[in-house]
Amino acid sequence: MNLMEHLQPHVIIPLKIGGLDVSITNAVIMMWIACILVFLTLTLAGRIGRLIPRGLQNLMESLVSFVRQSLIHEILGEEGMKWFPFIATLFFFILFCNLLGLVPIPKIGFTATSNINVTASLAVVVFICTQSAGIIKHGLVGYGKTFVPKGMPRGIMGGILIGFMIIVEIISQLARPFSLAVRLFANMTAGHMVILVFISMIFMFQGVIAKIFVTPMSVVMAVVMMAFEIFVSLLQAFIFAILASIYISLSVHPEH
Amino acid sequence: MEGLAQLVPGFAKLGGGLSIGLGALGTGIGMGILVGKALEGMARQPESAGLLRTTMFIGVAFVEALALYALVITFLLIF
Repeated sequence: MNLMEHLQPHVIIPLKIGGLDVSITNAVIMMWIACILVFLTLTLAGRIGRLIPRGLQNLMESLVSFVRQSLIHEILGEEGMKWFPFIATLFFFILFCNLLGLVPIPKIGFTATSNINVTASLAVVVFICTQSAGIIKHGLVGYGKTFVPKGMPRGIMGGILIGFMIIVEIISQLARPFSLAVRLFANMTAGHMVILVFISMIFMFQGVIAKIFVTPMSVVMAVVMMAFEIFVSLLQAFIFAILASIYISLSVHPEH
Repeated sequence: MEGLAQLVPGFAKLGGGLSIGLGALGTGIGMGILVGKALEGMARQPESAGLLRTTMFIGVAFVEALALYALVITFLLIF
């Protein structure tokens, strides 16, 4: 039994456009479902607009104000509110993708964020936003100057040192989207893999007596891990959004 | 030489196990220090607990990423 193939997306509708493989896999379908659910919950929550919120509006309002307060205000400040739609979209989309991965749906059930392609594209979008935010704020030359720390020595040795610092800075800029992508991907893969291993322990042990002892243990452990995964889903969505916000703030205010 | 070639998959699995084990060892020590220090700070100054908690989670994410890199290497080696 190969556990790895449960973590691979499989093609639902084969589709090819000009030699490019753009087949609709179950990961794509799960992302569509996540998009629709985000849209529906947020629209339905904000539709009535009670002054004293309750029910769905209460939940969503607390999440949105959490994003606004601790992801935007504390890091980017008041002028960072123009980044609010982007950060909130990232947060809610990743949160819904993570949580949908825990729902066992036949045929198409899949954690979209446990696929490196999905997380890498999200991280590349964050990278492009980070760099363009810095360039728009400081101009192309001004943004280039922020790569060099202040108070560097002059002369030939200083020149070599500045070149070295620029290379290090560029590497650290390029490592950020990589670590963002791998963090989300590996967290989701590992968490869901653990649940899968606990469940498949029932099938690994042969014999009735062994099964009687193993089955309750593995079911209980799978439930415990499931509860832990809900927490991890929230935490990883929060971490991704807050790191995106911190990276934007670092390129907008480089001296901090 | 052929005997050695037969051993390669086994060594790959051994390396995979060692990779996640040692990776988790270092990360566990680091995360213990990190959360312990954050708790100390929170106990000393309960009014700054919120800020400390946020910063701690960011730090935990950075530390945890190292173990996850080891996990990715393990997946690559084993499968």
